[in-house]
Amino acid sequence: MVRLTDLPDFEREHFLAKVRPPLGPPVWTPLPKPVSELRIALITTAGLHFRDDPAFDFTDATYRPISSDEDANNLVMSHSSVNFDRSGFAEDVNLVFPIERFRELAVDNQIGSLASVHYSFMGAGLSPQAYEKSTSQVAGLLKQDKVDAVFLTPV
Amino acid sequence: MCALGYYLEREGIMTTGISLVRENTESMQPPRSLWVTFPLGRPLGKPADPDFQHGVIAAALDLLNEESGPVLADYPFDAPGVDTESSPACPVSFARPASELTWSSRLVGELETLKLWYDLGRRRRNGRTLVGISGLSVAENLEKLGALLDEGQLPVSDLTWFKRAIEDVKAFYLEALTAQPGDYDQQQIQNLMWQQTVLGAALIQFYKMFQEVEQLRPFSRIVAPREVIGGST
Repeated sequence: MVRLTDLPDFEREHFLAKVRPPLGPPVWTPLPKPVSELRIALITTAGLHFRDDPAFDFTDATYRPISSDEDANNLVMSHSSVNFDRSGFAEDVNLVFPIERFRELAVDNQIGSLASVHYSFMGAGLSPQAYEKSTSQVAGLLKQDKVDAVFLTPV
Repeated sequence: MCALGYYLEREGIMTTGISLVRENTESMQPPRSLWVTFPLGRPLGKPADPDFQHGVIAAALDLLNEESGPVLADYPFDAPGVDTESSPACPVSFARPASELTWSSRLVGELETLKLWYDLGRRRRNGRTLVGISGLSVAENLEKLGALLDEGQLPVSDLTWFKRAIEDVKAFYLEALTAQPGDYDQQQIQNLMWQQTVLGAALIQFYKMFQEVEQLRPFSRIVAPREVIGGST
């Protein structure tokens, strides 16, 4: 999105109210091997899930798994915010959840492999700290899946 | 998004990703972020443009090679623009229905106008649709929403259904309005939806009704976008 200084006053004020300090001391995991050997998972905060999964609530720090085996074209969105474009996602799931692009990278050996399961959160209406517990749960699941790195997409 | 990056990295999993609001990311300092100028809702820039999406992904993945952080890099390219003169025309002309008609009949009338285009758009997208999170059909949702407005009532006891219903019907409209192949100017589509359709007028009416009830006022923020109601929430 453009810088806040380029937005109307009411938009700028909305986003400035969301500016928060760091969650704690800096954290940094060093690269253990070349990117071309990494196992990568996708995580989005776009509120995506399959139609039969429970939709996200108005505020909701839980997550939904997205299996690599399932057709991402069947993903729907139950994000509570109305302040972002959805027409692009309706046209192309990869705009928000770039699973096809990462499959192509894996085939081209530009990454090592894709995780068995990816994850979706719904980022709206809660403090960042509200996501600590569920993110730690997902971290455990990612480790079981031998995932090295995560590619994050917001909306 | 910043929080997820921080907590995952703390658990020993590397993260990189997209930042849509630079000032927020700059303040929270997640380990690695690529700030992009793309509109909210479009973190990879442009739908159905694999080359452009790959460029964004490559820049974000390259941050994994940094030796220390936090890293916040600026992606140097804007999303490709849309030539509004050559973009597909909206297939539907929204004539103002007679104002003495009920909300229900106006909404159902509009649904009938859009149905053919929704079906066509869905076929073009190989069956893909975002409609269907409410559990009711679009017609059922529009009838219920219209009936509420005709009675001047708010769905106080069924806010979950209400939110899912309005997202379902908006998805139906979006998919109908973009039924034809080609690049769309998302702002044009947004303006059309909120300024020319009965649905847009109905949702703004719900927004005003929620605003009038103090304990429900926060809910109005997830009915109509800030740019439509001028940031008055």
